Amino acid sequence: MAVEAERSRVTSLFSNDVLARVERLRMNTSRRFTNRSSGEHLAGRAGSSNEFADYRNYVVGDDLRYVDWNVFARLRRPYVKLYHHEEQMHLVLLVDASSSMLFEGKLQRAKQLVAALSVMGLFNNERVSIHAFNQANSATSHSRPCRGRGSMRELFRFLEEIEGGGDELVEQGVRAMLKHHRGRGAVVVVSDFLTPGDLRRTMNMLYSRGLEVFGIQVLGPTEIDPEVSGDLRFVDSETNETLDVSGAGDLVGLYQQYRLGMERELEQLCRQRMGRYLMVDAQSPLETLLFDRMRRTGWVVG
Amino acid sequence: MGFPGFFTPMFAWLFLLLGPLVLFYYLKLKRPRMTIPSLVLWRQVMRDNRVNSPFQRFKRNILLLLQILLLTLLVLAAMQPFWRGGEQTAERLPILIDRSASMAAIGAPDGPTRLDLAKEQAGRIIDNMSSNQQVSLITFGRSARQLTGFTSNKRVLSEALRGIKIEDVPSALDDALRMVEAMARSKPFDRVLLLSDGNVPGQVDFALPYKLDYRRVPPAGANMGVTDLGARRAFGGESGGEGGWSVFVQVQATDDQPMTGTLQLIQDGRLVAQEPIAPRRAQSQRLMFTVNAAAQTRIEVRIVPRVFDALESDNRAFMVLTPPRPLDVYIPPTLAAYRHAMQGFTGVRMYPAAGVDTAPGDYDVLISDNAKIDEVRARTNLYVGVVPGDLRDMLDVAQAGDEFIDWRRSSRLLDHIELSDVVLLDEVRWQDGAGEEALENQGYEVLAYGRNGPLILRKREGETLSYHLLFHTDRSTLPYRIGFPILVANLTRIAMQEAGLLEVIGDRTGVMRPVALAVDTTYRITGPDGYAREERTDEQGRLLGVPAPRVGIYRLKGGDGDHIEIGVSLLQGSETLMTTAQEIHFRELSVAVTASPMRVNRSLWPTLATMALAVLLVEWWFYQKRPGGRNV
Repeated sequence: MAVEAERSRVTSLFSNDVLARVERLRMNTSRRFTNRSSGEHLAGRAGSSNEFADYRNYVVGDDLRYVDWNVFARLRRPYVKLYHHEEQMHLVLLVDASSSMLFEGKLQRAKQLVAALSVMGLFNNERVSIHAFNQANSATSHSRPCRGRGSMRELFRFLEEIEGGGDELVEQGVRAMLKHHRGRGAVVVVSDFLTPGDLRRTMNMLYSRGLEVFGIQVLGPTEIDPEVSGDLRFVDSETNETLDVSGAGDLVGLYQQYRLGMERELEQLCRQRMGRYLMVDAQSPLETLLFDRMRRTGWVVG
Repeated sequence: MGFPGFFTPMFAWLFLLLGPLVLFYYLKLKRPRMTIPSLVLWRQVMRDNRVNSPFQRFKRNILLLLQILLLTLLVLAAMQPFWRGGEQTAERLPILIDRSASMAAIGAPDGPTRLDLAKEQAGRIIDNMSSNQQVSLITFGRSARQLTGFTSNKRVLSEALRGIKIEDVPSALDDALRMVEAMARSKPFDRVLLLSDGNVPGQVDFALPYKLDYRRVPPAGANMGVTDLGARRAFGGESGGEGGWSVFVQVQATDDQPMTGTLQLIQDGRLVAQEPIAPRRAQSQRLMFTVNAAAQTRIEVRIVPRVFDALESDNRAFMVLTPPRPLDVYIPPTLAAYRHAMQGFTGVRMYPAAGVDTAPGDYDVLISDNAKIDEVRARTNLYVGVVPGDLRDMLDVAQAGDEFIDWRRSSRLLDHIELSDVVLLDEVRWQDGAGEEALENQGYEVLAYGRNGPLILRKREGETLSYHLLFHTDRSTLPYRIGFPILVANLTRIAMQEAGLLEVIGDRTGVMRPVALAVDTTYRITGPDGYAREERTDEQGRLLGVPAPRVGIYRLKGGDGDHIEIGVSLLQGSETLMTTAQEIHFRELSVAVTASPMRVNRSLWPTLATMALAVLLVEWWFYQKRPGGRNV
């Protein structure tokens, strides 16, 4: 029975139940994007929807159908009503598959989250593409931009085949992704963000390309709450560099300060680029993440 | 205290172990490798100033520092450091410890005795001796005793020190100083330490060949005690009648304020009289009691103080009173003048007497002009016109005239006698080469001098007292002088005193008085503080030279069950008043009390070893404690 259930699963990343629930969700972006194609997101222009957006001064050439005559009667000046324009969003999902993501199921969790967000995008008639970066100086693997429910299995297969390992930095992965990406929309970077250097530049690169920047930081339990003590030699899983630490147990408090500081910085970077930020524990249940935390934090609606 | 010294500085080489310690620490510091996703956050942590503060650097190497500290403390302890006290630089140090009666005095109720304090000071010296120092312990009371030779064995010294006991005797320092001088001939030293309460003679006839460090223990509290106990026979009209004695007691105290108490008179174990007393320093108190002694009786006087009394041993005194009897005197009929003079005295029974067939075996007095009179033995003898056999080759008696040139007016025999107008028909002359020194070497004392030799001699042999008139009184004008009956009266008085018929004084501690017992018999003697020994009487039935160091009753028990009791007392004003000598005057110099506190070497190794143990515990705790500093 369990084997049969396993065989009937659409993807090995999560169960069909989860999939069914994800299909009913939609990612909640905070601003409107313009795009030549039509999607299911609201745009800020006299568009084809019934949703009033704003007033502006009448200029010669405007369609008189959109003049608000009540306002004219009161103010003796013509104003044009604006309605939201439904446009299609390009959802880019960037997965960090470097060596640091191989600890404590972080990569698996990242794949699950990306899979869920891609399902949300596909089921909301958005264009979805997935990029994965791991090995430096090698080509970033990416899926072709897909739309519609029929592309789900293709994306799932792409995700399932992603292999972790490598030392590519987030910035390098972003650059490689932007070489292949066209269009504006939202980008969700799923990584542990344990990367040297300033992420501001990386975020700016994304934002300047018209992408709303969302960040999901996936960390393992030992990264969230390290249990270390004594004199240790830490070895970086990506670079194999070492760092000798004495009295590691006494430094955990300081480590926490820096980790929370990084979270705040990432949150600020994302928020300033019209996005959101979320830190997840790779060991926490997927259902809790998708249907509870992401809902409560406004990541998804539905 | 100056710079610390080291008893065993050769162990400093152990500091070389610091090198391997540091080396092995860093070699051993093989840090466990831990692969983590990324070093990004940890690098930020390690770059933080708070991690790189000097205190944090110290904390990171704290185990190494603790181990270095531990090794340093252990090596220093092995080197046996000590603070120099300044008192123990001497390689050999004899320590004289006073064990006389006053050293038993205490400063407060249930407090330590002066001897305890002296032992404490000596103990500190012994405990802090270096390995190249040797100490010899000598105690002194009436005589000196060497407890240990020069030794560095602290256990032996401590044991000997613990075994020192008080003797209820006055202190005699010169014997100890002479003993120390003899020790210096074989093992030289230059300094001697004297520990005493200061109650030592202020004048000592001794030439000090070494430096004497005279240290006094803190003074004791106020004391009162019996310093004199005597009795005088009460005759006829005096109270007590026949067999009556007047007992005199003197009580003295050290306090300026009166020290109250009660003086009890106990006769043969029964309390017969008591009087309140309140002596003070400036005023001793004398009491008199009347006692009847139809038979031999033991008298004890006891002070029951109502205030704090520092010394207990001087609160009791003992005395034995003999029943009255006549003085047995033997005067041969040839000495009619003496018999005539003796007849006038009461309490005298003269032999030979008409109608008396029996005679005592021993007489109290013998007056004879015959050198050989073996069947008569007397305690007090007067030989008239006889040159003692052992002086025959020194003196010669010629029939020429002589006269008294000089005599000892302080002599009891010649008291109140004028001899200057006595004419002698015999002349006593020195033989060639003889002199007074030769007489003294034979034990004789010259009481009177003629023109060319001695005229009257005195000699004490144990209990026997002999006077020798080298001229015959029948060939002199002495019997016709008023001095002659006075002479006989003096002799009678002396004999009564010798026989204990006139005056008695309490026996003092030190050596028991000769006791007349069964001939050639062993007696077991027990006394205070577990005293026990066996002594044998001589061929005359006398027990001589028995030590009696403590105040109390000594019981002498023979094999046939007979036993007698003898009480000995302190009766020493110097010990009761605890007069202290600020300075001891020797022949050529004086030594004052050293006022500064005694500074002994103080070993530091126990402190260092304790600190090393504390460091070890800290290191263990540091290693075992859980990591901290998590922020959840």
